[in-house]
Formats: sequence, C-alpha cells, structure tokens
Amino acid sequence: MEKLLEVKQLTKKFGEVVAVDTISFDVRKGEIHCLLGENGAGKSTLTECIFGYYHPDEGTILIENEVVKIKSPNDAISKGIGMVHQHFVLVQPLSVIENIIVGTPAATLRLNKNKTIKKFDKLCENYDLNIDANSIIWDLSVGQQQWVEILKALYMDARLLILDEPTAVLTPQESEKLFKILRQMTQEGISIVLISHKLNEVMQSDRVTVLRKGKYVATVDTQKTSKQALTNMMVGREVIFRVDKEEIPVGKPILEIKDISIKADWGGDLLSQVSLSVHQHEILGIAGVAGNGQKELFEALVGVLKPNSGHIFVDGTEITSAQPQEIMDLGVGHIPQDRYKEGLIGEFSIAENLILGMQRNPQYSAGWFLQKKKIQAFAEKCLKAFDIITPSQQTSINNLSGGNAQKVILARELWQSTKVLLANRPTRGLDVGVIEYVQKQLLQMRQEGYAILMASEELEDIFNLADRIAVIFKGKIMGILKTEDASIEEIGLMMAGQQI
Amino acid sequence: MIKLEIEKRKNVGLVWQVLSFIIALFAAMIVTGCLLYWAGLDAIEAFLAVYEGAFVGVEAIVETLVRATPLILTGLATVVAFRASVWNIGQEGQLVLGAIFGFWVSMEFSYLPYYLLIPLVIVAGFVGGGALGALCGWLKSRYDVSEIISTVMLNYVVIYLLTYLISGPWMAPGEFYLHTAPLSENSILPTLLEDTRLHGGFLISIVAAIGIHVLINKTSFGYDIKAFGYNSVACKFKGMNVPRTLVLLMMISGGLSGLAGAGELFGVQDRLSGSIAQNLGFTGILVAMCGGLSPLGTLLAAILFGGLVNGGFMMQILTGVPASMVYVMQAVVLLFFLCSGLMATFRIRIIIQKRVKQ
Repeated sequence: MEKLLEVKQLTKKFGEVVAVDTISFDVRKGEIHCLLGENGAGKSTLTECIFGYYHPDEGTILIENEVVKIKSPNDAISKGIGMVHQHFVLVQPLSVIENIIVGTPAATLRLNKNKTIKKFDKLCENYDLNIDANSIIWDLSVGQQQWVEILKALYMDARLLILDEPTAVLTPQESEKLFKILRQMTQEGISIVLISHKLNEVMQSDRVTVLRKGKYVATVDTQKTSKQALTNMMVGREVIFRVDKEEIPVGKPILEIKDISIKADWGGDLLSQVSLSVHQHEILGIAGVAGNGQKELFEALVGVLKPNSGHIFVDGTEITSAQPQEIMDLGVGHIPQDRYKEGLIGEFSIAENLILGMQRNPQYSAGWFLQKKKIQAFAEKCLKAFDIITPSQQTSINNLSGGNAQKVILARELWQSTKVLLANRPTRGLDVGVIEYVQKQLLQMRQEGYAILMASEELEDIFNLADRIAVIFKGKIMGILKTEDASIEEIGLMMAGQQI
Repeated sequence: MIKLEIEKRKNVGLVWQVLSFIIALFAAMIVTGCLLYWAGLDAIEAFLAVYEGAFVGVEAIVETLVRATPLILTGLATVVAFRASVWNIGQEGQLVLGAIFGFWVSMEFSYLPYYLLIPLVIVAGFVGGGALGALCGWLKSRYDVSEIISTVMLNYVVIYLLTYLISGPWMAPGEFYLHTAPLSENSILPTLLEDTRLHGGFLISIVAAIGIHVLINKTSFGYDIKAFGYNSVACKFKGMNVPRTLVLLMMISGGLSGLAGAGELFGVQDRLSGSIAQNLGFTGILVAMCGGLSPLGTLLAAILFGGLVNGGFMMQILTGVPASMVYVMQAVVLLFFLCSGLMATFRIRIIIQKRVKQ
C-alpha cells in the first residue's frame, strides 16, 4: 500500500521538555492508523506538528513522498490534512454552514452559502448523516457537533483526517456509528489517524503506533497484536488488567438524594427529580456523557449549588441547603471533576494543598497559627502512603503531573472524609498506572464502609467498580441497574435518552 | 537558523525579584536623568542631592522615616487586599476617614489623659478606615459589587465629606482657612527621637509590618487570604466562609490605611485639613507593588519611596530641580518594575535549528 504521510525523525521541544523525540512513522492511503500512548507520550504534540499548529524543531514531513513544510493549519488544510480536536473549535452562536465557510475562500464579503450548502448536503448524504446545514451549533448535541467538525475537514477535501479522542463524548452506539463511517471513508481512499487511549477502539484500527514519554516504541498490525501487548508497550511493563472486586453486603443508606431539581437561567432543567441512594460498602456509578447534569448534581451535593426543590440527607442529617463546610464536617469527601479549578491551588505546595479545608482544624492549627511541624508530618505520611512522586512536599502543585495531583486530592479526601465519597470523573486524564491505583483506593474505601457516588464517562470504570449503575441524561435518571444485570447496550441506549 | 523563544521560569527566586527591582530603579534613574538633561539640568548632581537629602546624616534618615511611615501602612493595606486578589484602590479614602474618626474622638474625649486618649485615637483611626473597607468587602460578597468601583467611588465621598467638615461644622472658629482648630495637646503622638519629627506612628507602622508578615505567613487567616487570591473557586468548594473572609480582610486593609491617617494627623499635622491625604493612599499601592506584595518588601520599598520624597526637597534646594520630579521618578520606577517583573518570570532561549540530512 502506498504511503500518504511520512514523518521522519520529528522532534519538538518546549524549553527543556522534549515532547516529541525523533519520532518516525508513516500512514498508508486508506488506513485507520491509531496513535496510542499515555498522557505526555507526545501524541497530541506530534499531530499538532503535522497539522501546522506547532513547528517541529527537527525532522521532515512528507506527503506522497514529497517533502513539505507545513507553516500553519491553513497550510495543512490546503495540503489535504484535516484535524478534529478533543475540544471543539466551533462557534456556538453561528450556524453549521457558517462554521464551515469561515476561513475558506467562499467567505468573501458576500457569503456564497448556496454552493457550500450543496456540497455539505452531498457529504451528509454520502455518509448517511442527518444534519441541517442551517441549524445553530448550540442546538446540536455533542455528538452532532463532532460530526460538524469532521464534515468541516471533509469539506476542505481532506485526504488525511486526524481525530483526537473522538469518542470521549459519544455513547457506545454513537461510537459504533462513527467507526462504521470511518471505514466507509477509508474505502474511498481517505486515511485516518486516530488518537485514542480506549483499547476497544484501538483494536478496530489497521495499524497502531505506540508512543511512550515522547519516544517511538513500535508500529504493529492490529490484527497481529492484543490489548495486553499494547498496554505493556504503552506503559513499558506488564500491566494486569483485572480489578478484584469482592462481594460485600451493603449496609444502610448513607447518602439519600430525593427528587432534586435545579432549573437553569434559560428555563430548562439542569436536574429533574433526581433520586438516588447510596449505601455503606457500595459504589453507585453514574454513567452518562459529560454535560448531562453530573456537574450540577455534584455541586448540589457539595453545597456549592442550591437545589430548587428536593432533599439531600447524609446519614439522616439534611444537607439540602447546607454550606460546604457543614457537609465536609459530616464526613463527606469530594474528588472534583476539574481538579485544578475546584480542588487544588496550583501555586500552593503539596503540603498546603493537603490541608486545604482543614487549615483551622485543631490537628493543624493552634488558635490563629498554623502548626508547620504537624502539617509537614502529615504531608510526609501522605507522600509515602500514596506514592506521590515529587522532589519535596514544598513543590507547588503546578509542577506535578496530573496523576500525582490527583493523588494529592485522593490523599486529602480520604483523610478528611469518613462516610461518603463523591468522585466525579476520578480517573480522567490519568495514566494507566495511576488509574489502577485510584481504582484500588476506591475499592478499598468501599470495603471500609464508605458510600461512594462515582460519575464517569468511561464505561469500563463504571463496570469495573460500581455495584449499581444509574444513567443520567439531560438531568434525568433514566434507570438504575445492578451492574451484574446490566449490559453495555442497555446502558448505551439510556445514555442516549431512551427509556428502558 | 537561529530562533528566539520565550518560556516561563519554573520558580521565580527572591534573588531575581530583588534584582529586578534594582534594575528597575537604575532604569528609572536613567530615564529621569535623560529628562533632566533634556531640560538642561545636571542629572548626576540632582541624583546625588536626592541621595544626600534622603540618607546622609541622622536628620535626613529620620525625615525619610517620617515620610515612609504612612507609606508603610498604606502599602501593607494594599498587600493584604492584593494578595487575596481583591483590588482595594480605596487607601486614600480609608486613610482620610481614619483621620476623621481620630479627630472626632480627640475632640469628644479631649478631657482624657494622654495615655488613654492617644491609644483611643489610634484605634479610632483603625475603626474609621476599617469600617469603610469592611463596607466594600460586604458589598462585594453580598451583591458582587466590584471592589475597584466601590473603593474608588468612596474615596471621593470621603474627600468631599472632609471638605464639608472642615469648611462647616469643624471649621476653626473665627478663621478663614479650611481647617479645624488645632489638635488637643494630649492627643498628639509622642516623639520617638528628641528634636525630630519621628513620631509614635513610625513605631506603629513597624509593628504593623511585622504583624502583617506573621498574619500572612503563619496564620490560618493568612492561608485563607493567599488561597483565595490564587483560586477562589477551590476555596469555596473546600468550605471557606467567603463572605466572612472578604469582609475581614477588607476591614484589616482599610484599618491599616486608617492607621496611616491617624498617624499623619496626630504625628505630623497640627490640625485636620485638606493636606491630610497628599496621595499617600495611591503611593501605598506603588510601594506595595515594588515590594513584591510582601510585608517586609513593602517596608523596604516604603523607606525608599519616603527617601525619594524627602531627598526631592534637598534636590530642589541644592540644584533647583523641582521637587515634583521625584513623583515622576516614582511612576517610572513602577513602570520599569512591572516590566522587570516580566524579565524575572520568563527567560529567552536561543534555539539553533539543525537540518536533518536525509
């Protein structure tokens, strides 16, 4: 098969950090080629260099065996390279067609929409997609918005399509449909570079290139490898997949959420009559695509957002309109969805972050004054117990990796809480090793008697850890099933809004 | 091919911060020097005169400290607020209201002996400024009123209040000037050094500097202030009583400026008049910024700025350069300091790009 794209010895540095270290690989015409690697492996940086967003320090890029210099994304697009990022770059208040025209030759003083609409409609027809060219972006679902991003690239006649974690925001059914259409595209001669860490999807590609810490590890034919082999290459050592979850009889309900509703400023419902109860020794998983009310639910539970109606109880005490401090005092811990914004102070040291929320606690302060020695001792304990890798406890959180920062939060919340743990996307953006660790910790807490409410977009996490699964869609609970009775298909349908 | 790239430093050390201030100072002197040269004046002579007037001889140093006293306090007021990312620009009004409260107390309780009256007027100064600060803090926490707007607007309100008082109810009887009657003897701050103007207010400002240093670095409330300044969202999630924190820190900030007002009134002035403020509030902001928003840095910067003002008079006497040139210098120093702050935070890397042979 012919090579469409070839990258030779590409290097990209950011200061002293070598994000991409002399990586070479190639993409054949009409293949789905996966780039696999953990955080910081260099996948995004590499593709951004191909897309012209970054300029490589060293190395060459060849398209159809001709050396090219890609000076900007515009340049890349004109050479037939399209990219869909993890965070969409669509203009929300504008229509689909306006988003497609922006930046193209058709965007002159008089917008020549008709030609564009014709071409767009033809593309939609070809791939059996149903998107109205004149609809406004913010009326579309996240899945549909992603299609607009992909169609934008195809409209510009992309021969190479780079997709960065495309299924992060899709239900299982939507992912299936995406892959079907990707296959159709490859049959038409388009090559696809897929950045993904979801091994299920990676196994659907033709070839996989594994990166680790900025370096090239290997390129393998997907047919000839396995999930285990790929993980080992990604991490550099043997990784055992299995999560040992023992059967534990649940205790009494500790966290009771009754008919919680929260209205949005624009009149719609952020949460609608949500009722859940979490027992001791139980993990209740909330499955759902991000943006369906998980954020608001957790904010209400933590005390940062007041529900319009309904009641929340922790071990019998009502906390519906309680302040965060009161809820913390009742033994509730929280692993926030956005760890840097809601859970950590980047400029503070690890030690200072470990006592965030406890700075007036007699354990760490005497009267007005902080007890530096006691804080230091506590921090030492945490660093050891959670294997947090850092030069010192005085290092600021901003200088830590995402995984180590999450461990700081975990250490703190485990220590501060006694009864309930609210975990919102606890393994997001973490490396395989840390994910393992976090899962172990959560199961440990379950064994100790905590009631754990966990929201996650990764169905694998939910199925591995949860005893029961609740599916949330547009602020409503679509159903609650025992994990052993649930199937991915059922959950996927509920995530897309279908009542079972 | 050679490329220049700018990247952020991981840790901005104290050395770099001090160095950047010194460089800013020199740059300011060069710029001001050019201005003087362009005006046909001798820059070197002028700067030497400033130095002489500021730091040469006991008299000069003492007078520099007198000038620095209110700046230390308004600088500390700025530090407390700015560290929390609360932009208190009301030091001027808080200072004046402190002086107003102090004056009122000195008149109402003039029958008290000095060892009771003096502490009382000082406390009144703190209360005056503190109440104004607390009000702005409350408005922000309850109604989300921008503190920049509330503090600046209230500056005007207070200044007009002062004008009203000294031209009306408090005007010295039988006089034409806009000022009050002289202060009662027993409210005047004691002199620290004989035959000088160094007054008790200087002691108060030193104690305040140490106190605020301890507050910010060693107490839970100081932790709250810094945490809130860096990430108020995380603080809210982790149980901080945000309204209480805001009101308290603005009260302390306003109170410090109020102390400055009382100190100036009962230590330097002989009566309450329009000349109580003299931009001491706004200069406090400059001082705090040049001090790197640290209490001890502010102390040093205040002494330097005080020296500039003091030395300015000597410069005018010896060389004829108008004393107001020092205000130009102050402004230029701040501008360069802000730029040099960039220099300390980022560094330039030179990249030589190699071409890989096929």
